[in-house]
Amino acid sequence: MAEFSLPQNSRVQKGRHHPAPAGAKKVRTFRIYRWSPDDGQNPRLDTFELDVSNCPMVLDALLKIKNEVDATLTLRRSCREGICGSCAVNINGVNTLACITGMDECEDEISIYPLPHMPVVKDLVPDLTHFYAQHASVRPWLRTESAAPDRERLQSPEDRKKLDGLYECILCACCSTACPSYWWNGDRYLGPAILLQAYRWIVDSRDEDTGARLDELEDPFRLYRCHTIMNCTRTCPKGLNPALAIAEIKKLILARRG
Amino acid sequence: MSDLRNPLQRARGLGSAKDGAQHWWRQRVTAAALLVLGIWFVLLVLALLRGSYAAAQTALANPFNATLMVAFVVALFWHMQLGLQVVIEDYVHTRGVELALQILVRLFAALAALLAIIAVLRIALGG
Amino acid sequence: MDSSSRPLSPHLGIYRWQVQMVTSILHRVTGIALAVGSLLLLAGLLSLAAGPSAYAAFRALLAFPLVQLLLLGWTWAFAYHLCNGVRHLLQDAGLGFARPVFVRNGWIVVVLSLLLTAAVWIASLVIGGAL
Repeated sequence: MAEFSLPQNSRVQKGRHHPAPAGAKKVRTFRIYRWSPDDGQNPRLDTFELDVSNCPMVLDALLKIKNEVDATLTLRRSCREGICGSCAVNINGVNTLACITGMDECEDEISIYPLPHMPVVKDLVPDLTHFYAQHASVRPWLRTESAAPDRERLQSPEDRKKLDGLYECILCACCSTACPSYWWNGDRYLGPAILLQAYRWIVDSRDEDTGARLDELEDPFRLYRCHTIMNCTRTCPKGLNPALAIAEIKKLILARRG
Repeated sequence: MSDLRNPLQRARGLGSAKDGAQHWWRQRVTAAALLVLGIWFVLLVLALLRGSYAAAQTALANPFNATLMVAFVVALFWHMQLGLQVVIEDYVHTRGVELALQILVRLFAALAALLAIIAVLRIALGG
Repeated sequence: MDSSSRPLSPHLGIYRWQVQMVTSILHRVTGIALAVGSLLLLAGLLSLAAGPSAYAAFRALLAFPLVQLLLLGWTWAFAYHLCNGVRHLLQDAGLGFARPVFVRNGWIVVVLSLLLTAAVWIASLVIGGAL
């Protein structure tokens, strides 16, 4: 059976409490998932009361905690402007990027977990190895057989437009880890992010391997585990529509059957 | 047991089944059929709800109603099997149990459809 | 480090129950309920084929309050699965994927299914002479 509850070693325990320092002005409470591979303990939920006067974004608050309260807090971040996808976490039940989530968008108490249903490396850092391998498995690059032209391969403005809403995907994994189907069958289901990436090459007018790409996707698990639950589109921090991309792949597979 | 396979090997698994579109399409076609037949069925039940045995018998003996009822049960049990198949694939990951359940659901759907068709024929043609 | 000893991050227990996830799981739940309900359809057809006394017994079974309650549940399951099924068919055609649209459609399906259930039961009561 698919496991709907967490395995024994993953159950979250009560954690430590870090009260706000005296004289703190604008205090908000954070509940943050913690797990370290070093102490043999189960994951725990730490509470931080933090003065967020200088923290416009949730990422700022996380970094303030790391810098001033608990230096062992581990998270990924890089660009702090929603283009690298590193700081993808679950904030108050929804996957998004901490760097582009404003503190004023959040409820008073802010719960932060790593991306759901993933093996945890430490604290808010999930192991994305399988996710990246799935991306590699669709061979996400331009595949051609015709001889390389002397100049770049041309594409009409209309055909280029078809890539809008697809090329912007930053592979942050928010959508895939929001998908219940990916939770229960992520070992075989490619998930919304990878399918959107696959579709990006399927609709590229310069690509010459469309049929093989569709062959590779037409599979009860790789593609058809998508039941249009729509969590992916609802949660995408870039406002993209993975569910629509998947629906278009299904339509193309149907179209070639006559 | 440690898994020393390369992540790409794991992601590729056994490769693509190159199948699944037909199941998906059949589920949609039977759904569309049930949309029409289901509404007809509810109306029929409402009409027969407080009526006598003779009234129900006469209604189903009508060739149009008998035909629609046969179409309804075929679409219904087919759609049911296709749907339950996906549910089992989603949640049951013990191969033996999964296989047994899939066969049971198919058997039930086929037998139930046959039984319903024979009942309708008996009502329609007189027993 | 062996990845199998890593904990699994929380999922169902922490993810926010938004309308699209609820309508999706309800589609599945009502589908399974209707599969069970197909037994009743089978019983009805068989009793009608068997003759007046069997049919009378079937009708008597339906009159039990508990069975009436189940019938009410199945009516809603049917109405919901039908309405949400239409939404799914439209989505399979590539329609209704904009965020505000599918959120709105989810709520429409829920409300419409309740209205349809009420309509069917009011109709049955009117036909039965109770109203």
